[in-house]
Amino acid sequence: MPVLSYYPGCSLKTSNRFYEKSIRDVSLFFDIELREINDWSCCGASSASAVDDLLAYALPARNLAIAETEGYHIICPCPACYQRLRVANEKIRVDKGLMDEVNDAIAPLSCYGSMEVKNIIELFTEYVGIERIAASINYDLSSIAVVPYYGCVLTRSWRIKPFDDTEDPVSMDNIISAAGASVISWQYKMECCGAGKTITDKDTTLRLSSRIMDMALKKGADAIVTPCPLCQLNLDLLPIMGRRHESIPVLFITEVIEMAIHGRIGGGRSHIVPVDGLLKKMKNA
Amino acid sequence: MKEKDKRILKANFLDEITEKSREKISSCYQCYRCTNGCPMAESMDIYPHKIMRYILLGERKKVLCSGAIWACLMCNTCSIRCPNDIDVAHVFETLRRIAIKDGVAANDNLWEFERLFLESIKNYGRLYELATILHYKLEKKEFFKDTVMGIKMMLKARMGILPHSIKDKRHIKGVFEKIEKGRSEV
Ligand code: SF4
Ligand code: SF4
Repeated sequence: MPVLSYYPGCSLKTSNRFYEKSIRDVSLFFDIELREINDWSCCGASSASAVDDLLAYALPARNLAIAETEGYHIICPCPACYQRLRVANEKIRVDKGLMDEVNDAIAPLSCYGSMEVKNIIELFTEYVGIERIAASINYDLSSIAVVPYYGCVLTRSWRIKPFDDTEDPVSMDNIISAAGASVISWQYKMECCGAGKTITDKDTTLRLSSRIMDMALKKGADAIVTPCPLCQLNLDLLPIMGRRHESIPVLFITEVIEMAIHGRIGGGRSHIVPVDGLLKKMKNA
Repeated sequence: MKEKDKRILKANFLDEITEKSREKISSCYQCYRCTNGCPMAESMDIYPHKIMRYILLGERKKVLCSGAIWACLMCNTCSIRCPNDIDVAHVFETLRRIAIKDGVAANDNLWEFERLFLESIKNYGRLYELATILHYKLEKKEFFKDTVMGIKMMLKARMGILPHSIKDKRHIKGVFEKIEKGRSEV
């Protein structure tokens, strides 16, 4: 049984608790053990780097340091946290000066960048395998068409090698296909949803997220599928933020797999745009 | 001011930003790619490539007082696409810090929010979503503006209600204090 250190990040413990449940459910199904990093702390998100470069490395490094003592590679489902953790990890590994500065700040802990940081898509492509997903299908999703929405930061980690193509990633498309749903190709895979402006500038988020929702509808999608908790929240919040037009459900990638293997979505009731219509389209395989 | 003094002033601004951001802004050749891909360009008073141009021209005030640097979403599209390897988003981030320090920021809502966010991490180790949002709304006197949204979210169990503290709160506070102390020494 593969074991991974699991970094949930703040949003999977607050507004996206049902994403964590879905991740745990699916991992358990594929015999992957996720061990939550002991006493993990916030990665600093965009706030730390807004104020200070060193703080933006030290906050993720505190978690990397704890994970290093535990000795497993790290899985980080939130793309924003993934980016912070991975950039810090790889910079510290190659930049001795930065490593010393950071370790000074986080003493008595110390971080050497000796582990790998993986995202939720890599959990499936590297630790489960596309064939195994395809072989585990119990429910037929072939009448459900979705648009894959990766969100803006997952492959746009600056100056480190992206895990997939920067502008046109396909790794999540392959997972969705393996789960049996049909993937509609579109240009908005990486568009920004308005990210952190939901609180300070709601109109911006409303405008950018609406544009994505409109395009998904125009493409004839039944749902939008994303790995990102912020994107899911912003798009799912559209009706509450004041969007008057129709919205389609916004699923996490793990929820698509849940449907294919269990025929249900465990956190279905936490969705603001109801998912019942989707479930009705599903058939026994 | 003499022509020569003006030139020195201009060069200083470029040097200042180059040094603080560690980005080679002088290599910008105005190809517009940053602006073309920017999801916020339409709401910016100065487009991203123009910001770069004005830095080169030494237009300190124009750049630091712009609304554009605050409209940015830090989505990194510009940085990834720049043919000259300039991390444009990081330049924007650097400009924000200077604008705040100089007290000329066109819009400090975002800054206030980041400050409260960091305060939550410093004290609890994690983000205490609801407290941070309520603080922000209270300080901005916007308390009632999004309350309906907040209640609906809570009903759907989508808002963190309890503070999420880590066990070793002293450690995280220490990390902040060491870095703050280091910063005040330079
Ligand atoms: S993409 Fe780069 S080179 Fe082109 S205008 Fe923007 S900053 Fe300058
Ligand atoms: S990081 Fe900012 S400036 Fe660059 S493309 Fe995104 S919103 Fe525009």
